[in-house]
Amino acid sequence: MAALRGVSGSACGLRLQQATRSAYATCSRRSVSTQAAESASPVLLDLETDSSIGVPQLSPEEKKEFRPWKRAADRKLPLPGSRYQYHPPKYDRGPLHPIQSPNQSDPTARDFVPGPFSLPRLRQTFQSTISSDIMTLAYNHTPPGTPKEPPAERLRTWDDSSPYHKNRPKRAPRGAPVLPLRERDITFNNIPEIKEITLAAYSPEAIDDPNHLIVTRSVMLALTGSLPDITTTHSSVVQWGVVKGKRAGVKTTIYSNDAYEFLDRLIHIVLPRIKDWKGVRATTGDGSGNLSFGLDPQVVAMFPEVEVNYDMYPTRMMPGCRIFVKTTATSDRQARLLLQCMGIPFWGKI
Amino acid sequence: MGSKLPTTLLRRPALLPYSFQPTPPSQTLTQVRHATFIPRPRRPYQFTQLVQLSDGSTYTVRTTSPQALYKSNKDSRNHILWQPTDKTLKNVESDEAGKLAAFRGRFGRGWDTEGAAAEGGAAAVPQEQKEGEGKKAEASAKAEEPVAQQDPFDSLTDLISQYVDKDAQKKMAMPKKEDPKKK
Repeated sequence: MAALRGVSGSACGLRLQQATRSAYATCSRRSVSTQAAESASPVLLDLETDSSIGVPQLSPEEKKEFRPWKRAADRKLPLPGSRYQYHPPKYDRGPLHPIQSPNQSDPTARDFVPGPFSLPRLRQTFQSTISSDIMTLAYNHTPPGTPKEPPAERLRTWDDSSPYHKNRPKRAPRGAPVLPLRERDITFNNIPEIKEITLAAYSPEAIDDPNHLIVTRSVMLALTGSLPDITTTHSSVVQWGVVKGKRAGVKTTIYSNDAYEFLDRLIHIVLPRIKDWKGVRATTGDGSGNLSFGLDPQVVAMFPEVEVNYDMYPTRMMPGCRIFVKTTATSDRQARLLLQCMGIPFWGKI
Repeated sequence: MGSKLPTTLLRRPALLPYSFQPTPPSQTLTQVRHATFIPRPRRPYQFTQLVQLSDGSTYTVRTTSPQALYKSNKDSRNHILWQPTDKTLKNVESDEAGKLAAFRGRFGRGWDTEGAAAEGGAAAVPQEQKEGEGKKAEASAKAEEPVAQQDPFDSLTDLISQYVDKDAQKKMAMPKKEDPKKK
């Protein structure tokens, strides 16, 4: 069609066959002027040659016929109101129900969350700098053609002393029924990044005074921007007056952009303000790339969100919190490398 | 025909003299409403905030804080842990004229001199260890003796008493003079 547009305006009115024939004709008979015009204006090929100016004006008879007010007066039933809005169903009644709720990404859906509204600074830094830094730091050269070593076998095999050993599944190693995560090498398609950040605050005083829970919850809400869930104590300790099943804590998880925003604020604004802080203890981690550390109530009060209306929160009810940074790294040292590149200092023997 | 007897044999309806009716299921059907509530997400309003770090660099963040501009005076840009090469952040006193050293020399702190003495004693231990293992016990005993004899408060009190004495002596020596500038 672009070729059709390229030919003159009169040719556009022709039928397709004729147009193609004429195009062929021009192609067969080359001339310097047409070639120059084509090469000079490749941009203009996409322009529409039709215009609204060329449309013939209405005749007086046609103008008299056009009476929208008459059509409105003749209408028997009213039009649907302009305030009509679609309300998505409140309940999901399964995939076979005739009324289906729209997808979460649909703006009319009940669980629609708008955004993202910004690309966090730390995420930009990760994409532009940190990811390649990590890849370079973790690069281990293997000469091409080196045969790949198979990973060490961790499961116990059966010696074929009995005929019944045939086709038996291998056994887990002694003393460790659950196999730990195996570290994957960092390559271009396996660069560790932040998956999610969980914040948990435990306030056992809330068992006696539920106001603690309200303060803890509002502080966590201000920090993360997501409404926290209330947690319960999972065991009772008589000496501490902790009863099992009481509401005494708060937790919330933030993902992607929110997590990066939070981490950025933590690293660059909050942590430098802690007096005589050496860094996060380097031995932290669960062995599969999730690091955690804690903040005191005084440190939580240093967050800009809390600081801005610090008077709102009773000082003695200010909670501390634990931060669990979950990464896609498969080992602690890879996760530590990621967070170190992002700016969290670590101290101590690993 | 007599009453039907219970049998374990499979019955085929075509072979039976009467038309076979499958019995209705014995368990009673309870109506279940499978409806899951779709909650509306509850989230606070998030403002766009301009953050200015201590080195003057700015960036925007989405935050619950209603402040439009956040200026920080202490952050990773002026912290020694994040800027280890920045010499201005290091806690080193600039004492080019030697005035601070002179002050410390005059009004010396007792614990500084003690620390120096203890370090000297500690340094003496490894030298003696090199000589021989037989003398090791004696050497360690020698090293420990002066530390044990020293009482940290004794030296402090000595220092203070000496200083007061000097001061008093000066006052005693120099009688009160009237300031010549005032005249």
